Amino acid sequence: MIEGRGITKTFASRGGVLGSQSVTALRGVDFLIPRGGAVSFIGESGCGKTTLGRILAGLETYDGGQLIVGDTDLSTLKPKAREPHFRRVQLIHQDPYSALNPTRTIESTLRDPLRLRAAQTGKPASWVASQTEELLSLVGLDPSYVLPRYPHQLSGGMRQRVVVARALTVEPEVLVADEAVSMIDVSLRLGILGLLRQLRETLGVSILFITHDVATARYVGADGELYVIYRGQVVERGPVETVLADPVHPYTQCLLSAIPVLHGLERPGEDRLVPKEPLDEKMEPAGCLFAPRCPFATEVCVSERPVLGRLGGTPQHHACFFPASRHVVATPLR
Amino acid sequence: MSIVELSTETLPGVAISGLTIAYRTDAGELAAVSDITLGLPAGTITGLVGESGSGKSTLALSLLGAVQKPGRVTAGSVVIDGIGDITKLDEHALQSVRGAQIGYVFQAAQNSLNPLKTVGKQLLDLGRSHRVKDLRGLLREAKVLLSRMGLAAERVLDSYQHELSGGMRQRVGIMFALVLNAHLLVLDEPTTALDMITQANILQIVRDVHAERGLTTLIVTHDVGVVAEVADRMAVMYGGRVVEHGQTMEILGAPRHPYTRGLISAIPRLTGPVDAAKPLPGTPPTLGTIPRTGCVFRQRCPLRMEICDTVAPAMIGGVACHAVNETEQL
Amino acid sequence: MRLSVRQRFWRGVWVALKRRPSRILGVIIMALFVFMAIAGPWFYPDRLPYNVDNMYAPISWDHPLSTDFEGVDVLALVITGTRGVLLVAVAAGLVTMLVGTAAGLYAGYRRGAADSVLMRIADFALTIPGFPLLIVLTTAMNFGAWWKMALVLGLIGWGGLARAVRSQTLSLRERGFIEAARGLGLPTRHIVTKELLPNVAPFIATNLLMAVTGYIYAQVGLYFLGVLPLDTSNWGVMLNAAVFQSGALISPDALPYLLAPLGAILLLTLGVVLIVDALEEIFNPRLREG
Repeated sequence: MIEGRGITKTFASRGGVLGSQSVTALRGVDFLIPRGGAVSFIGESGCGKTTLGRILAGLETYDGGQLIVGDTDLSTLKPKAREPHFRRVQLIHQDPYSALNPTRTIESTLRDPLRLRAAQTGKPASWVASQTEELLSLVGLDPSYVLPRYPHQLSGGMRQRVVVARALTVEPEVLVADEAVSMIDVSLRLGILGLLRQLRETLGVSILFITHDVATARYVGADGELYVIYRGQVVERGPVETVLADPVHPYTQCLLSAIPVLHGLERPGEDRLVPKEPLDEKMEPAGCLFAPRCPFATEVCVSERPVLGRLGGTPQHHACFFPASRHVVATPLR
Repeated sequence: MSIVELSTETLPGVAISGLTIAYRTDAGELAAVSDITLGLPAGTITGLVGESGSGKSTLALSLLGAVQKPGRVTAGSVVIDGIGDITKLDEHALQSVRGAQIGYVFQAAQNSLNPLKTVGKQLLDLGRSHRVKDLRGLLREAKVLLSRMGLAAERVLDSYQHELSGGMRQRVGIMFALVLNAHLLVLDEPTTALDMITQANILQIVRDVHAERGLTTLIVTHDVGVVAEVADRMAVMYGGRVVEHGQTMEILGAPRHPYTRGLISAIPRLTGPVDAAKPLPGTPPTLGTIPRTGCVFRQRCPLRMEICDTVAPAMIGGVACHAVNETEQL
Repeated sequence: MRLSVRQRFWRGVWVALKRRPSRILGVIIMALFVFMAIAGPWFYPDRLPYNVDNMYAPISWDHPLSTDFEGVDVLALVITGTRGVLLVAVAAGLVTMLVGTAAGLYAGYRRGAADSVLMRIADFALTIPGFPLLIVLTTAMNFGAWWKMALVLGLIGWGGLARAVRSQTLSLRERGFIEAARGLGLPTRHIVTKELLPNVAPFIATNLLMAVTGYIYAQVGLYFLGVLPLDTSNWGVMLNAAVFQSGALISPDALPYLLAPLGAILLLTLGVVLIVDALEEIFNPRLREG
């Protein structure tokens, strides 16, 4: 189990002559990833979802808030002492082409973390070889085919499976999949998504699925929670099927409206919005972060910032003064 | 009546027939595009769908006469109304046709601008290289296009690539493709690496600009959703061949080729049972592993028959599949 | 059949060489020089036979490259001179490789203060004019011993390699596989030697071979200018004698004596350049198997 309370992160970027400019990536994000559960973060690029995943994997520091892994509040530990806890979270990179060392065979890529593990836990050398094969079989690869090969000799889908197998060498509790299928051929994507789903069942690992493609998030964790993030703030949060069936925040509705409709196979939702993309994100509004792009913004939205809650008695949490049901998702014709 | 006639005269249709494009490799000359016959009717948007290695980008480049070495057109023709067979034109003729009559938005147009020059400077370069007399008029046209796409035209023309977001760069790419008044527009993966909302906006722009300017448009993508949103007609490529083509609505509603069926049912949806999405077994072939004889899809095909190993299925009624042809004839 | 990693590597080397005949030529040239350096002196007595009656002999089977001002066979001089030239150049190259690679990897992977300090030193090593400094140093130190010379050359020349390795390391550092290795808790030693180094290897090898040719020039140049004692056999000593004693620039008789060492240097450089062309393919498994 991993819990975050009020995680904040600001990147200082040097803005040239006019002095430094900072970018707020996360504005006090609360989240909970239960054991064996699935949580999906969705939002546009730059919304902070990737930063959050990297913080969980220990690849990025956070500025404020508490990060609790299991029973340990990492905020109380020295940076060095946090490392073993971060190992319980493994990141699956978006790009399976750069995630594997091009100069090493799959065998040596998998063997080294396993050897380290064997040394730490006092397992015999034979364990390394058998575990290598077992992990590859678990992710749906044929060990005798894959082991002697270099990454470039494998397809994108196979590479991503190897990346998952490598993450599993340290028996993690959470896999963070950041756009894990966006660079993989369409016909192979579902296989990877299915693998993540299957690992939840067989190994009990939790999945944090980070994506801009809501439908893939649903495939991996339809029983989990969906977090919609906009400019570092969670604007809507609830069970996946609830949020998808009845989104109440206009940003969520924009995101869902933007998903292409397979005309001929399904009918567009009758309230489908025409979302506006952010053409200028540099200014920091005083009120609701989404107000400048929101088709329904009122005066209060511009002057006050809503917080995550259940205003209007909705089943899910949201950060909007005027939550309203709109039917924006396409429905199948058959 | 007369309007219809006029529009078919001015709009360029494209007729690709028997086109084969091969790349020279260590293993010999391998065909990336094999014997493709496909028409782009004037005034329509055609979506060309395929995965990596399907040959879709190579096919798109052939419309520009820009197949890169070591590749070359080994057979067939690409006839564009008003231009002729583009595979027969020399480099000089091609250069005057590109941009002026055929607008092309490159794959990853987000990064195809010159980082050291402002958009305006690059626009003037383009004008000069095409010997445009009225550069002011060119700027005016560019501003109209940029404003039409929701951008602050003056500011964009004064910007460098790094000052523009991905969606803005894509719009600039479309502006460059159309500013010389091209009527054939080719977009290669126009929304890859863009966010959903930006993608929706770009697709809306493509649709609107296509209608307003009376274009013939080809949109190349790996994403069936993109085609579903914008294209009147679609063609599905696999292993260098078109396996199915027709009206988008009809294909999506009732796909016939086993690959098209598999591809569409492998797309997870937002509603309906989660497990309605089904994975397609196997992997798409690369240039070196495309079967040389028989059907290119047979290794992943649930309807595989004996004849598939030896005879490449002919395109009959918009689908190239032995099994489908057999059942439909009954 | 499963081959060991080593067997696959050598098979890959062979494939890469075969792809262009020029590469095989490069290897042949290098092999020839290495052979001359190792075995050359064994074929000749310590003091080469001389015959003052046969100075600047016309080219013949006995003296295919003519003879020098004492009637010593020029081919024999070239062959016996190879060892000194290559020994110093290779040893200096090793010094450069060790210092440059270590500094570049450390600076690029650690970043921060260590990076700044090491790169300032590397810049310093890059900006000092090497050859004039060498001339000054020869007056202060005795370069008679080959290892002293190699050490000084190597220490002057590591800056470029360190810079190249560092920039490569910096970009690799952000790659997914390095982040993954850190995330798996693999020790830094492993990350640097097993993950980073193999990816930087082609850059090291290329820079190194180029540095080695530079050292050959520097060393031969020092002998040629006469700032080093002329009592050894070295191509530079030959050039010096040809120009300053035999007047090869004005006397056509002595021309072969001048051209022979020059030709040897050019041939060796050619060999290096032809091999460098193959290095990228040899170290990159993707290119290796084509």
